[in-house]
Amino acid sequence: MFFKSPKKNKRKEQDHSKQEDFSTELSTSLEQNIVNIKKMLDQPSDLITRPFIVGETGPACAIIYIDGLTDTKVINDSIMKNLQIGVDEIESRSEETETALLDRLSHHFISSGSVKKVTTMDEASLAILSGDTALFVEGTDQLLVIDTKGWKSRSIEQPTTEGTIRGPRDAFTESIRTNTMLIRRRIRDANLRFKSQQIGRRSKTRLTVAYIDGIVHNDLLQEVNKRLESIDLDDAPESGYIEQWIEDSFLSPFPQMHNTERPDKVATALTEGKIAILLDGTPFVLIAPATFGAMMHSPEDYYERWMIGTLLRILRYFAAFLAVFLPALYIALVSYHPGLIPSKLAFSIAATREGLPFPAVIEAFLMEITMELLREAGIRLPKPIGQTIGIVGGLVIGEAAVSAGIVSPVMVIIVAVTAIASFSLPSYSFAISIRMLRFSFMLAAAFLGLYGIILAYIMVNIHIVNLKSFGIPYSTPFAPAFKSDWKDLVLRVPIPMMNRRPKFLQPEDEKRIDKEDQS
Amino acid sequence: MKSFEYADEEIGQNEIGYVIPSVVIGAGILSLPRVLSEDTVNADGWLAILVGGIIAVFFTWVVTKLASRFPKKSFFDYCSLLISKPLAFILTAYMAMYFMLFASYEIRFVATLSQQYLFASTPKEVLAFVFLLVVTYAVAGSRVALFRLHQLFLPIIIGILFIVLLMAVPLIDMNHFFPLFKTSGTGYLKGTKSTLLSFMGWGALLFYTSLMNKPKKATKAGMIGMCVPIILYILLYVAAIGVLSNVVAANLTYPTNELAKVIEVPGGFFERMEIVFFTIWVMALFTSSIVFFDVSVVALNSLFKKVKKITLILVLAPVIFLVGMMPQDRLHLSKFSEILGYGGITVSIVIPTILLIVAKMRGVKGHE
Repeated sequence: MFFKSPKKNKRKEQDHSKQEDFSTELSTSLEQNIVNIKKMLDQPSDLITRPFIVGETGPACAIIYIDGLTDTKVINDSIMKNLQIGVDEIESRSEETETALLDRLSHHFISSGSVKKVTTMDEASLAILSGDTALFVEGTDQLLVIDTKGWKSRSIEQPTTEGTIRGPRDAFTESIRTNTMLIRRRIRDANLRFKSQQIGRRSKTRLTVAYIDGIVHNDLLQEVNKRLESIDLDDAPESGYIEQWIEDSFLSPFPQMHNTERPDKVATALTEGKIAILLDGTPFVLIAPATFGAMMHSPEDYYERWMIGTLLRILRYFAAFLAVFLPALYIALVSYHPGLIPSKLAFSIAATREGLPFPAVIEAFLMEITMELLREAGIRLPKPIGQTIGIVGGLVIGEAAVSAGIVSPVMVIIVAVTAIASFSLPSYSFAISIRMLRFSFMLAAAFLGLYGIILAYIMVNIHIVNLKSFGIPYSTPFAPAFKSDWKDLVLRVPIPMMNRRPKFLQPEDEKRIDKEDQS
Repeated sequence: MKSFEYADEEIGQNEIGYVIPSVVIGAGILSLPRVLSEDTVNADGWLAILVGGIIAVFFTWVVTKLASRFPKKSFFDYCSLLISKPLAFILTAYMAMYFMLFASYEIRFVATLSQQYLFASTPKEVLAFVFLLVVTYAVAGSRVALFRLHQLFLPIIIGILFIVLLMAVPLIDMNHFFPLFKTSGTGYLKGTKSTLLSFMGWGALLFYTSLMNKPKKATKAGMIGMCVPIILYILLYVAAIGVLSNVVAANLTYPTNELAKVIEVPGGFFERMEIVFFTIWVMALFTSSIVFFDVSVVALNSLFKKVKKITLILVLAPVIFLVGMMPQDRLHLSKFSEILGYGGITVSIVIPTILLIVAKMRGVKGHE
């Protein structure tokens, strides 16, 4: 104890001295301010300080910015050029105060879109760190923050996870400004709102809540805002962090918010009365609330004619059914109720299963896990190899497993159909939930056959009716039943017939189409 | 947080309309053609169903009239207003017990049936236990979620029933129906009594009406809901007699299942359709069970207000299981169902009628 204490003191002193080294207040001395900023950020190599004099003989100034986050062209053209060459009248008014000079610079000479006067060091440093340029003038404890944000970002590309044949090809990017632009371009409504806030104690990531005022239900908006306020993270690198923080139940396998990289999808969701949450640094935008029915929808349903859209949706429900039940049904039928299978089919299945070492359950698990592995590996590998591994792995392993007498050919067919069915679901997160459910159904079938499957099905239903997404039951509009919303659930009626916004969202403005205008 | 209008713990008339058929369609429908065929000749039983149904609709009216007089009040509360507190306590306890017994019966019934059709060698205790676990999971969730479950399952159940009926149509032999009206008066009477017993379940409305946001609408919704099983029962009965004939139906334990057995799925995808039919029928039994379980929880909760819902559920579940396992064989089981039938008459007919008369005479009304 005795020996330890001086050390402790020393460290404390050191911390103390570091704190004392610079002042967190802005001073009137230009030099002092620059030194303070540099000390605060600990002399970063990408911090550029550029001292100069306004006009011919004006006061000493300096701009500070971070290289890489800023657009140097803007700095050169609209700050430096104007202040150094354009200013002639400064001398004639040398009697004015420095603060007034600052105002005059901002009013007359800096030709950048957004200029803000800032009076604290914290604001100044945050602005510099987010890509703005700070302009200090000798003799004043205020400074100008000029918007010069401009960093390299990916160009707008095609959506990679949600492909459609027909529909817009643009997807969100990592830059939140681009993303809001993509939404604004689609909804030119004066009531479209973007409310920003910062998330992450360290990262200070910008998060924007988008909604259309006058459509969205007020409670929903309040609930979203309330939950967003409760977020206390160090860092929010992806919207998944936000989603998991504000979702209703973390015990549920189902995604309780949509994530999408399609601006058209977000735009339609907003006009329905939903809320979108955009996060800087990720192309995935969250849509709340989510319902089971909406998980089955793809934007393409609306772009094709209604019959095609309806057919595709029915097909998708069927695919979800297959993806969940098929292996479980196979297990149940083969190991518990062979009498249920038509005799001819039963014989051929029995013939292929002859000499197989494992019961149907083990066989099914073996193949399903292999399938999941292939899928996972296909995602991680570089794209050209990924596709090959799918084909080679799938074909070769399937073929070899059958000829080696480990699994039956029927099982291979079932696994393949299941996998294809689960690929056809439009929402990737939802498809993962379905994959998880499949395994529990297989277990239920292994224990209690058809009885187990039906009980598992009932349990999933119990879970879904109890689940809520932002106060809205996940099972809407099936139950509680909103019959007017069934027009756009499994069916997709012709667009002119969808004259109301979804009722379950209780939008303030229910009418989508005025009947009078139509005729 | 003020939540959405439909997201709170209140229900509308739709939900009430769904509950009734969900409760009624359950164990009774499987054996109904047998029970009726024992008492009536040829296809005369449909008249018994109709009369029984009308009586059921009438008493649904009585129950909902009584319950909607006292909006937002639990059965125990308005009972205490009408007939002193101790009496109300006894009545409510009696009802809780009746519904609990009914839940036990359903669970036992599921176990027996699935043992018969699916797993000859698995002990019925295991089958009942697994089913009870699922039922408990449902009841432990929010109460409105139960109503949503009815909304999800009822269309499936009715749809499956209709498919079975449709596919049975080509197999109907018209000779099984004739001659008409050969049954004696006592036969009709007995038949009416047994159908009435299989319609029991509207007593649940005594407890559920207090959850409604507009209790006045319970009457209409409940009566419409009651009509659904009546129509289904008549159709099913006629189909069963038409396909199997009266004599055969009278000698089969579960003629409805046998009906599913004789029909053939086009394309020959499934043999032994009755297993598939029974599997989906588990849902119908489930929807009845959750209502009985939940109503007994509601009843007990109104008596012991301080006890948490989950505690009651955890206490009730083992009791339900043990009671359900008590009957040794089928004979005991039918005794059990007989006792339940008489309990049902007191709970769904006698008590509400007396209470309504008392309420009308004394002019007691709940405050809005």
